[in-house]
Amino acid sequence: MREYLKETLLELCCSYTIISVGGSIFNLFFGGETNNVNVIVMFTFCTIAVFILSLHKLLTRFSPLFMIIVQYLACFGLCTLIVFILSRIDHVTKRGWIEYLVSFTIPYVIGAAFYYYRVFKDTKKQDALIKEIQQAESET
Amino acid sequence: MKLNLNEDKNLREEHVDIYYANMRPVIKQLIDTVNSERPTLAGRPADEDMDDGEAVMIDPKEIYYLDHIDRKLFAYTRTGVFRLMTTLGACEEQLWNYGFVRVSKSNLVNIYKIRQLKPDLNMKVYASFDNGERICINRSYKKSFNEYLQRMRRISL
Repeated sequence: MREYLKETLLELCCSYTIISVGGSIFNLFFGGETNNVNVIVMFTFCTIAVFILSLHKLLTRFSPLFMIIVQYLACFGLCTLIVFILSRIDHVTKRGWIEYLVSFTIPYVIGAAFYYYRVFKDTKKQDALIKEIQQAESET
Repeated sequence: MKLNLNEDKNLREEHVDIYYANMRPVIKQLIDTVNSERPTLAGRPADEDMDDGEAVMIDPKEIYYLDHIDRKLFAYTRTGVFRLMTTLGACEEQLWNYGFVRVSKSNLVNIYKIRQLKPDLNMKVYASFDNGERICINRSYKKSFNEYLQRMRRISL
């Protein structure tokens, strides 16, 4: 449990730093601006995402595709709940909801595609390694 | 068959004595094992009762994979399925040097028998064997599987 917490906190720190710095760079070049609520929401989303993604070990009996979809739905559901609660305090426009959906889904799909690519690439590499071992064995 | 094991720390030369009535295949296989110093596994055809019939010695080279189902261990070979009276952990320890690696909680595969490693569209990775069967490589064992392949490559080259 201690190890899990240590690992998860480290992942949270890394991912929040990347997103925060990335957002600042984006704002610097494209003239956007942020406020205190945005920073807190960003951190909350990061925490939810890291926590949900860290539960992947509980889903090893299912296929990775199933795991990715379940984790996406869980993350999206929780983040939407946060935005919904905030929309009670501060009005969120229709465009805001669409932008939220897009900015949440696109990075997730890119991440999933990269994972998909890695699975295929690693498997190809392992298959070549097995052939090499078998070849060496048959020669002896 | 009765088995006597004698430990003698002062023994200069280890030896095996076999007392037999008839030179049956199992005795012949035992002799081959001692001569070649290869590990073998004792098993019975899976479709037979464990108390009936004669145990056969299975050469690990012939095994595609080991499967642990309902607290029973089975070895899958080209000629058939055999039930082994040992544990998966013991087999893993005994056969790690012979190309056997754990790919899931209940499977040990022989890498020399893998025909192809291929992922499905759902991203599950399967090892296919000559007999047409497939075993899923659990992603939590992916790292250790990869390390094993790297180690075997270093040994074999």
